[in-house]
Amino acid sequence: MSLRNQVAIAGIGATEFSRDSKVSTLTLAARAILAAVEDAGLPPEKIDGLATFRVGDSVLPAVLAQALGIKDLNYYVDQFGGGSVSHSIVGQAALAVHAGIADYVVCYRALNARSEFRMGGTGRPLVDAIETQYQAPFGYFTPPQQYAMAARAHMQKYGTTEAQLGAVAVAQRAHAVLNPRALMREPITMEDYFDSRWVVEPFRLFDCCLETDGAVAVLVTSAERARDLRQDPVLISAASWGSGHTLMSNEHPDPTRTAAVDMAPRLFEMAGLGPEEIDVAELYDCFTYSVLVQLEDYGFCAKGDGGAFVETGATKIGGSLPVNTHGGFLSEGYVHGFNHIYEAVSQLRGDAGARQVEGAKVALSTAQAGYISGNTSALILRGDS
Amino acid sequence: MSDATKSISAFLPFSPTPDRDSKPYWQALAEGSFRLQRCSPCSTLRWPPRALCNRCHSFEHEWENIETRGEIVSWVRTHQAFAPALREAVPYWVVQVALVAQGDVLLIGGWLVDREPRSAEPVEMQIVEGTEGFRFPCWKPDA
Repeated sequence: MSLRNQVAIAGIGATEFSRDSKVSTLTLAARAILAAVEDAGLPPEKIDGLATFRVGDSVLPAVLAQALGIKDLNYYVDQFGGGSVSHSIVGQAALAVHAGIADYVVCYRALNARSEFRMGGTGRPLVDAIETQYQAPFGYFTPPQQYAMAARAHMQKYGTTEAQLGAVAVAQRAHAVLNPRALMREPITMEDYFDSRWVVEPFRLFDCCLETDGAVAVLVTSAERARDLRQDPVLISAASWGSGHTLMSNEHPDPTRTAAVDMAPRLFEMAGLGPEEIDVAELYDCFTYSVLVQLEDYGFCAKGDGGAFVETGATKIGGSLPVNTHGGFLSEGYVHGFNHIYEAVSQLRGDAGARQVEGAKVALSTAQAGYISGNTSALILRGDS
Repeated sequence: MSDATKSISAFLPFSPTPDRDSKPYWQALAEGSFRLQRCSPCSTLRWPPRALCNRCHSFEHEWENIETRGEIVSWVRTHQAFAPALREAVPYWVVQVALVAQGDVLLIGGWLVDREPRSAEPVEMQIVEGTEGFRFPCWKPDA
């Protein structure tokens, strides 16, 4: 039986997002998890699954289970990985629930990505990956550098401009202004964008995501059980896993193509719909360019047209495809993909306040598109009515 | 540009940690040669160094000297010092190069001249002295 709409997100929880939480990742995770079950009206004792991903920077499920007084987990996942696996964690929880392995799985991501372990690479140890040895000797080892390289290739091949990258940053900041949870709530103009300092050309500061302390948790349970809980369920219409390339293997010579190209058709097929039926898209935006390339690779516009698509205003709230309605990593905060899921659920429940997309029924939420680890993942979510 | 872009080859801040698959690659570079594995049955060049061919799955191969020419695919100029060892180096260029020998092999490397690389520019490798006896493949315009 298909997974489509069989499993739901029944509760969501988040901590404050900040530059210094002053608490441990265990504390952050526990706050978000308890908030998620409280949101659902589920007693914490009912939690029988915990799942997360991390890169050596956070608390593992077994430690958290002890802290929460859970004596026997029916299901756990402690996956090594970055943003590319963020949505697969929820997809895997859906599989576990659907298979009857666990009834109430809480998926979480907790990190002090500014005050303890800077995700952008500044001061962080080199990543323990086979590929690091071929890059680090040249002073090239951080995500902004790796994504800037892909962005430059896209600019060369398709004529994408700096102003088009800037349009992503400006649009998302306008959304963050409407979001009380967002860290960056001052509007910015295109002039501000061009005035922001270079980080790694072609990326300026405003092309790069924030580094944030915070945690988000979501409660995954069967659609049937979810209907007995406090909130309107948000159904998981599709979950998919993709394995692309990192540009560190022969046979993958095109830096402008992400793993989403191959994965998106599976995702839409599982949901039984196409890109034109997506009302709101929360696209993994570690950098402005990531948004442009995903607009193309998920089929919202033709290959190479991502920049032009954003310049039409389509991705603004009120446009044909509002994107990153919370402000995204660029302006809300960086919770490694989980704040995108939180926002998608909020939109589908009609709880997004001043930034609510009218009539939002179906949402796409995506993980890092695959340049860095080679993996990607995504979810299509829908309201239950 | 107001601030001259220095060549990263003057800084080359980190030594690689070779693994059992890549040791011959680094050894050859240290001796001044650029070598990759060519698959014995199907002649595909393997990148990165690894035991098996991703096309025919053979484990058989020869380490072979490879033509040190390529074409610029992309480039970045790093302004933010992502590690203390890079404070003196910024800003610096890093290039991504497709090998002439097999265009689907993309290497990251240092850029040896003080000007921005050009799209699809033909380039030539120069093996540069690095840290701890390692040498690294860097690139300059193909004269």
